[in-house]
Amino acid sequence: MAITGARQKAAVQALKASDWHLEGAFDVFYSQPQSKTHTDSRHLEELYNRYKDPYLDMIMADGIARLCNDLQVDPQDIVMLVVSWHMKAATMCEFSKQEFVGGLQSLGIDSLEKFQERIPFMRSELKDEQKFREIYTFSFGWAKEKGQKSLALDTAIGMWQLLFAEKHWPLVDHWCQFLQARHNKAISRDTWSQLLEFTRTVDSGLANYDAEGAWPYLIDEFVDYLNENGVGADGFSRTIGA
Amino acid sequence: MSNQKKRNFQIEAFKHRVVVDPKYADKTWKVLEHAIHEIYNHNASGLSFEELYRNAYNMVLHKFGEKLYSGLVSTMTSHLKEISKSIEAAQGESFLEELNRKWNDHNKALQMIRDILMYMDRTYIPSNHKTPVHELGLNLWRDNIIHSSKIQSRLLNTLLELVHRERTGEVIDRGLMRNIIKMLMDLGSAVYQEDFEKHFLEVSAEFYKVESQKFIECCDCGEYLKKAEKRLNEEIERVTHYLDAKSEIKITSVVEKEMIANHMPRLVHMENSGLVNMLLDDKYEDLGRMYNLFRRVPNGLLTIREVMTSHLRETGKQLVTDPERLKDPVEFVQRLLDEKDKYDSIINKAFSNDKTFQNALTNSFEYFINLNARSPEFISLFVDDKLRKGLKGVSEEDVEIILDKVMMLFRYLQEKDVFEKYYKQHLAKRLLSGKTVSDDAERSLIVKLKTECGYQFTSKLEGMFTDMKTSQDTMQGFYASHPELGEGPTLVVQVLTTGSWPTQPSSTCNLPSEMSALCEKFRSYYLGTHTGRRLSWQTNMGNADMKATFGKGQKHELNVSTYQMCVLMLFNNAERLNYKEIEQATEIPAPELKRCLQSMACVKGKNVLRKEPMSKDIGEEDAFFVNDKFSSKFYKVKIGTVVAQKESEPEKQETRQRVEEDRKPQIEAALVRIMKSRRVLDHNNLISEVTKQLQQRFLPNPTEIKKRIESLIERDFLERDNVDRKLYRYLA
Repeated sequence: MAITGARQKAAVQALKASDWHLEGAFDVFYSQPQSKTHTDSRHLEELYNRYKDPYLDMIMADGIARLCNDLQVDPQDIVMLVVSWHMKAATMCEFSKQEFVGGLQSLGIDSLEKFQERIPFMRSELKDEQKFREIYTFSFGWAKEKGQKSLALDTAIGMWQLLFAEKHWPLVDHWCQFLQARHNKAISRDTWSQLLEFTRTVDSGLANYDAEGAWPYLIDEFVDYLNENGVGADGFSRTIGA
Repeated sequence: MSNQKKRNFQIEAFKHRVVVDPKYADKTWKVLEHAIHEIYNHNASGLSFEELYRNAYNMVLHKFGEKLYSGLVSTMTSHLKEISKSIEAAQGESFLEELNRKWNDHNKALQMIRDILMYMDRTYIPSNHKTPVHELGLNLWRDNIIHSSKIQSRLLNTLLELVHRERTGEVIDRGLMRNIIKMLMDLGSAVYQEDFEKHFLEVSAEFYKVESQKFIECCDCGEYLKKAEKRLNEEIERVTHYLDAKSEIKITSVVEKEMIANHMPRLVHMENSGLVNMLLDDKYEDLGRMYNLFRRVPNGLLTIREVMTSHLRETGKQLVTDPERLKDPVEFVQRLLDEKDKYDSIINKAFSNDKTFQNALTNSFEYFINLNARSPEFISLFVDDKLRKGLKGVSEEDVEIILDKVMMLFRYLQEKDVFEKYYKQHLAKRLLSGKTVSDDAERSLIVKLKTECGYQFTSKLEGMFTDMKTSQDTMQGFYASHPELGEGPTLVVQVLTTGSWPTQPSSTCNLPSEMSALCEKFRSYYLGTHTGRRLSWQTNMGNADMKATFGKGQKHELNVSTYQMCVLMLFNNAERLNYKEIEQATEIPAPELKRCLQSMACVKGKNVLRKEPMSKDIGEEDAFFVNDKFSSKFYKVKIGTVVAQKESEPEKQETRQRVEEDRKPQIEAALVRIMKSRRVLDHNNLISEVTKQLQQRFLPNPTEIKKRIESLIERDFLERDNVDRKLYRYLA
């Protein structure tokens, strides 16, 4: 209950279903659709007003900072990304009222305490393969500038480092170095999404990299870059400690 | 008279009581046996055929066939044994003769015996499954003579010995050989093969193994091949004269194997005389011989082809990468054409136009011609040279031949679009300076290019020709409507349709007043008849003919560029001008102006201007004068015509960049076309489809295709499939 934030009944159910094994119980619990816990819309309204910007009907960066403070969470913490994902936020560093309220409702949150309780759950969502993929895909649209088609390189690098700290990819640093050295341009959506595929399909020794594999040319160039710099066949990164 | 009673007659068969004399069979047999003896002793004339036949007939009839048959066997056998002895006794040369003689005798005897015993042959023998008489006679001969221990090996050795002697140059009795061999053949193919042919082939193989080894040590390739051919022909002749025709293929393959197949690599690669040397020296006869011999052995032609290909590729590669050659593009291309002619000749005269060799030639050319990225440019320069002056005085047919050959080289190019770009540039210069030798030749080449590459390739080029013609008509119209201008300077304008002609940025240039007035008149005339168009003067592409009188009264006609004309006209009003003044007055951009002044002041024979100081470079402070001392042998002096030249490095880079840029939309268009019709296609197939579609013009780089695909994804023309990331889908 402490970890999942579940009610006692649900917890007991999950444990029973998994024969009282703790690990199994987590699986069972998370694979169930979350029961819609009742949220008080008045409380939500209050919560929103606490953080909203004085001049705009949005929660802006300032408000978000305060929220994080109150939650005792670092604003750079990846869990905020997960929160944004739940809210289906359009752009980073701002929440519309609808996004904020709708998102919290779907999470069953109407108070700071409940919010705090849900944080471990949200962290755990990153461990789920499918959810991670959705969050990853979501982040592209969220992190890019409004009205732009591509994601600025610096932002992209920041996002990648954040995301791949969670789901470890040994080549992430090389990737970022490569981009800064050779590419220096914005990242397209196709490249963004294909990169995730790349991390999931091709091992870090590049042994199963298929040159005919229809990877975006940027990734092909990355492979060349790795080969040039002696990373590759033996699976060891020679420049940065693996 | 007595009453004659009717009595029934019965005619009964005449029952001839055959008294079978117990000794009857023996007696009859004795008669026959005696006859056989006589026959073998050449005493047959005293015998009665009819009687003997009847005897044999009776024996069989009375069921004594068995006795008759076995008697025949034993009698014949004993005779044969005697014959065998007499053959064995023959010495030396007469062995074969004796054998032959006895064989003939035996055959005659056999014939007679068979005739006598014909009834048995037809009745007793088949029903008792015995060997027929004739065959029996042959078998007995075989078993008792040929396979007799004293004769068998002697016979074989004698025959082989004779063959060997003939091979070493002696003359032998071919008739006798033929008869003996025929005897073996008559005895059955098993006998011929086992008792002769098999050994003959083995021995021959050995012989040729040794001989070929000997030859290859001491002969060069051409000589060796001659010898091999000779031997091969000998063997074929031998077969026709005294061996079974079926042996021909067997013995020829022995020779082929021993003399050719086993030594192929060594022959082909022989130093100083091998295939490569033959190719270099156009040794048609030797090459033809090699071709004919090698085609008989497995992989023979393949070997020749491979060596030829690698040699050709190597030669070609050197040709196109040799820095010396690259200095003169016309020479470069001529050399390529010569090489092609050479090999066409070889394939024609020595390799009987073998298609696989022609293909090998094509592949090799395609390979090395594209090793040099400047090949398209050079080929265009070659054509340019020919069309300017090279084809002067050449007959129409010869012109066609040269152009066809150039087209062949063109076909080998991978980057045909690069050629197109250069060809356009060079054609423009030719047309504008009026320097083409033959309009017909120009058009003929355009037609050939159109046939090869389609309408789109040549539509702009044709547009250029049309513009020239139209301009002529326009000029006529202009002067017809302005008769007062007949006295002044003659203006010739070529109106170029933008888009058909290679684009050049036009730069500033102040025309002398006489000219600018005239130009304005033309402009208004033209725009009067063609509304909605814009004209801009391309002063960097024009030229002028000027009459000049120099200090000592010498008159010349100068053919100069428009820029040069502007500069020179200034000197009608001034004795001395410095660089700055000229620059100001003409507003010609500095690099062009400097080049223009250089060509008039610093080049021997063209120095109509004098410069102070006399340095080669143009400095900002230099002063210019008309060169009163100018002299030239010719009345007409050409200064600075705009001739097509090999591009400088930066120009080349620029052209190449433009070509690359032009390719991007073409790749995208192809991608969209393909995806629109296929709807869904995977990555590899898409790449190969695009390549196939574009290869008529150029070979697209797969990386570039990938980039274009990604660009199309960005712009929402295509998307990747959700499940299979290698699959693309067209978005309507």
